[in-house]
Amino acid sequence: MPKLRHIAIAAEDPEAMAEFYKKAFDFVEVGRPNGVLADGVFLSDGTLNMAILKFKTDQLGKGMDFRGIHHFGILVEDVDEFTKRLDSLGAEHYIDQGHGGNQAGYFEKKFYGPERVLFDIAEHGWAGSEPLPVPVKEAAE
Amino acid sequence: MAKLRHLAIACKDPDAMAEFYKKAFDFELVRTSDGPLAYGHHLSDGTIDLAILRFKTDQIGKGMDYTGLHHFGVLVEDLDEAAEKVGAHGGKHYMDQADQERIGGFEVKMYGPEGVLFDIAEHPWTGSEALPAKLEEAAD
Repeated sequence: MPKLRHIAIAAEDPEAMAEFYKKAFDFVEVGRPNGVLADGVFLSDGTLNMAILKFKTDQLGKGMDFRGIHHFGILVEDVDEFTKRLDSLGAEHYIDQGHGGNQAGYFEKKFYGPERVLFDIAEHGWAGSEPLPVPVKEAAE
Repeated sequence: MAKLRHLAIACKDPDAMAEFYKKAFDFELVRTSDGPLAYGHHLSDGTIDLAILRFKTDQIGKGMDYTGLHHFGVLVEDLDEAAEKVGAHGGKHYMDQADQERIGGFEVKMYGPEGVLFDIAEHPWTGSEALPAKLEEAAD
């Protein structure tokens, strides 16, 4: 089964917010993304990647002043297979991670689901997040 | 370490949205709830509780028409200790679970920096994974 492995928060001051979650819950810093879409801090609880970001574009249509939880990300076995499934269910494809960029550690595709809730899918896993569980049959071999 | 174990989405039509995530990602329906705060469905990926809710109050100050990601939840070993630590670092207490019999949902709600709302609980959300230490205890 796919797994929720990423939560992104839109913040005015990612540095201060990341410090808060590090101190409050002992989340560990695992990266400092700085890209065309956002800058910020990646934290991990050992299972999920929590991205605290200052966005550079208005991905949600809620304005550049939007603060709060922004999108989530789902780790899947096969991005192409899930892209087809999402298309068939009426999800709207938003953007892909650039092919020249490093796919590992970030989103690979972004979609809008019902009511324009934005989510990512990836098959390589976000920085500091846990991989998909190995299927029982495969693990036994 | 505390673990992120809950993510809540605010929406107009929780029935349709829950169907979408069940079909899209094979998430399982573990509970449907209709309480004083919200109506909706709880899905599970085996680790996280994904709550798809129509809220009845404006918890995040974005108005009753707000739709989108709403709050997250952190599973902790000790609720009182965690709430105290959050408060010591500037988190603001919002509310406690009023129903003392209710296990498997939020126990305390707090606002972090920039008004971001999160829950803390020491009992796992329904359908979510226990803390690793608790799983080890259960295996012993």
